[in-house]
Amino acid sequence: MVRYLGRRVIAAAVLVAVVSSGALLLTRLAPGDFASELFGTGVSAGSMAQERARYGLDRPIASQYLEWLGRAARLDFGVSIVYHRPVVELVRQRAANTAILALAALLLATAMGLPAGIVTGSRRRGALASVIRGLSVVLLSLPSLITSLVLVMVAARTGWLPTGGMQSAGAWDAGTLSGLADLARHLPLPALAIALPLAAMIERVQSQSLGEVMAMPFALSTLARGVPRRRLVWRDALRPSIGPVASTYGFVLGGLLSGSFVVEVVTAWPGLGRLMYDALRARDLYLVAGCAAAGSVFLALGSLLSDLVSAWADPRVRQRQAGGAPGAAE
Amino acid sequence: MASCRAGPVSRDIQCGAARRAARPTWATGQRIGLGGKKLTTSRRERSLRSAVLAVGVCALVAASGACRRDAPRAGAKPAVKALVSSLRAEPRTFNRYVSRDSVAELFAFLTQAKLVRIDRRTQEIEPRLAESWTASADGLAYTLKLRTGVAFSDGAPFTSADVLFAFRAIYDEKTASPLGDSMRVGGQTLAVSAPDASTVVVRFPSPFGPGIRLLDNLPILPRHKLEAALNAGALAKAWDLATPPAEIVGLGPFVLKAYQPGQRLVFERNPRYWRADARGRRLPALDRLTLEIVPDQNAELLALQTGQIDFMQSEVRPEDYAALKRAADEGKVSLLDLGVGLDADSFWLNLRPNRPAALKRPWLLRPELRRAISHAVDRRAFTDTVFLGAAVPVYGPITPGNPRWYSPVLPRFEYDVAAARRLLSGLGLSDRDGDGMLEDRSGAAAGFTIITRAGNTALERGAAFVASELRKVGLAVDVAAIDGGAAVERIERGDYEAVYFRFLTTDVDPALNVDLWVSSGSAHVWNPGQAKPATDWEREIDGLMGRQVAALDQAERKALFDQVQKIVADQLPMIQFAAPRIYLATGARVVNATPALLRPSILWNPDTLDVR
Repeated sequence: MVRYLGRRVIAAAVLVAVVSSGALLLTRLAPGDFASELFGTGVSAGSMAQERARYGLDRPIASQYLEWLGRAARLDFGVSIVYHRPVVELVRQRAANTAILALAALLLATAMGLPAGIVTGSRRRGALASVIRGLSVVLLSLPSLITSLVLVMVAARTGWLPTGGMQSAGAWDAGTLSGLADLARHLPLPALAIALPLAAMIERVQSQSLGEVMAMPFALSTLARGVPRRRLVWRDALRPSIGPVASTYGFVLGGLLSGSFVVEVVTAWPGLGRLMYDALRARDLYLVAGCAAAGSVFLALGSLLSDLVSAWADPRVRQRQAGGAPGAAE
Repeated sequence: MASCRAGPVSRDIQCGAARRAARPTWATGQRIGLGGKKLTTSRRERSLRSAVLAVGVCALVAASGACRRDAPRAGAKPAVKALVSSLRAEPRTFNRYVSRDSVAELFAFLTQAKLVRIDRRTQEIEPRLAESWTASADGLAYTLKLRTGVAFSDGAPFTSADVLFAFRAIYDEKTASPLGDSMRVGGQTLAVSAPDASTVVVRFPSPFGPGIRLLDNLPILPRHKLEAALNAGALAKAWDLATPPAEIVGLGPFVLKAYQPGQRLVFERNPRYWRADARGRRLPALDRLTLEIVPDQNAELLALQTGQIDFMQSEVRPEDYAALKRAADEGKVSLLDLGVGLDADSFWLNLRPNRPAALKRPWLLRPELRRAISHAVDRRAFTDTVFLGAAVPVYGPITPGNPRWYSPVLPRFEYDVAAARRLLSGLGLSDRDGDGMLEDRSGAAAGFTIITRAGNTALERGAAFVASELRKVGLAVDVAAIDGGAAVERIERGDYEAVYFRFLTTDVDPALNVDLWVSSGSAHVWNPGQAKPATDWEREIDGLMGRQVAALDQAERKALFDQVQKIVADQLPMIQFAAPRIYLATGARVVNATPALLRPSILWNPDTLDVR
């Protein structure tokens, strides 16, 4: 297990290095830079050059990159050009907010998608299953932008939820409980905006997987012996069918970062996605690289989590991770 | 007992059943299966079911708990007089001396004060920290008498030493302040001296028509807080976003109470603010002002309609007008019509004469082409399509929204397709291959590409409309909407044929935007930074603007600038088609707002802003 975790840590480090380097280089190579974004048209070439020199943007890309890489190896991702603050500090602050949102969204999506997938996977027919399938297709087809805007509009019209932000001003002044309650009021809207399409995806994967397990000989024979379908589903078929859903979690967690920026912008959630969006717009290349690094950490963690859940659900996976021959458990 | 034939799951059934045989029935629950056999519910089955149920219930509880109506902050009965505004972008620094972005400027309006201020509505100079001033006979020196008894928000007294510090800071080479550029006349700095603690003398290097209007650009930051950083060459890093709010002191109506990154800035009244209203009440009228960071304009609009914010920083988009009008009719918001805006979208062709495209297709540089373009675009249809009717046609860069400098008597190349075709024909552009589109004498298609900023729907609509109108007269025109930074870089390099952009007016006085008009200016966008004027008309404008900047008599300055506008309207180095009408929306609770066309439209005057 230690060796396995060691391998995963090394793979994660390589992933972080490649992704953040790619982000930095692509941002640097793309037309335009921080100075052109800041000044717009009509500024003297001297002023533009002075601003570029101030942030080292006039240096050759190779030396700029190598210097950054050297610092990044010591977990120093430089200083944000826009905010004049260490990238690590900015990213850490926002990553915590994104993690709260991502976990809430994942929990909501699992709570909605998994039972729905069990319903549709265990019943081929029925009005409920058909409605769930139809709803899933609709939610999968809707871009996050539309979902967010619709939810914001509903929140605005009904007044049930705040239309944006993470906390009200002064929410924590009245104590921790009051602060947490305020956070809980702000969380559902962005979490739902992310969770709805995710729940639909989980429903589809779970439904397919459970359907396949239910068609296996052992399941058919169990049914044939008179075991009720519901009992077969909950006691025997659910666990082996969870593997595919679990394996998607890694990508989902990684995707939450890149996919949540639209939701974060629309719902004014101060997360990492929004920070990266702002950094990209301002061409703050060190901050872009830092955000990308954080995103790849999310991906690596999510991937590890999904592997652990898969191992929990399937002994064969456990065996493979432990270095044994696949199928040895059978 | 169930038999076990294959697979781990079946084995589980068997083993589970064997285990259950030894347990009391209350621990397992019982059910009667087919054939009269007892089928029990396994612990794992119950665990799984419970887990899924628990997660579902948690989600429902969280959702229902969250569904408590969030009392709109703006709508609640205020214990203190407080307003909430939206802010679209994050602050980047709290130090106005090192930032040119609009949030830093807004921050300075709220927390700092200036020697004099331009009243954004009347365009008159108002005394602020300087209570009076006199000009020397030659107009080069101004002696400003400072208010006495004024203190910074931390209690430190304000004196002329703070003014000297402000000038030293913005002209400091290491600081490289963007204000240093705007506080120069003819490229030279102003000379400032302080005969005593309450007197400042500002000397201009050459006669300057706008005079101390220039000082409206300069907030006076506290010497006692920032001088050490300036001396250490570190002013550029001072007052960054990590600075504790208590360290950021000022002479403005508010002090920063809290900054929550990505969420909001909270300001509280500065108890030491030096202004009072006409009835002698201390200003500002508000106890608290919150700027909620709402990056998305649609969400911002909804927040306004639902009372979660009291006003927006940005103007109302044409497409949002109808919804806000309905809200205004219901009494939820107030819709303020500020009239015609100062900024009209501008179209220009690249007039740098030596670039390869211009050498190959010299007709691109000819004024006849620009006049033909002006004739070809139906400005009425343009206002309807691009601004949904909320605009007026214009024929020059100075709009009717700037009455002090606008000239209504200018050459106009009105919508006239036949005239456009005649002008194009005169350039040798004709349909040589019968495809309905024009070709030049070499047989090459007559056309060009307009670049504009992607993501700005008004600009994209405007550029698309112009292109479509020009295609009707046979010019093959395409639009390339590209990322802002990339577009700017191409414009700076001169790597474009035509541009459709919008300039934001920062001051209505043309002498303070002189870089746009003179041929050597960096903002002379169609052919910037010329060593000597490329055309006779640019040479003429250079001369006129030189006199206009130096003239001290307002009537003379206006007459000179009218001539400049006349030349520009005739030569059309930039073509404007329409200027939008500007609407602002505020919540019904907001009173004493003094909206103006120059940004920040409402918070330029935060002192008197009050709540109903």
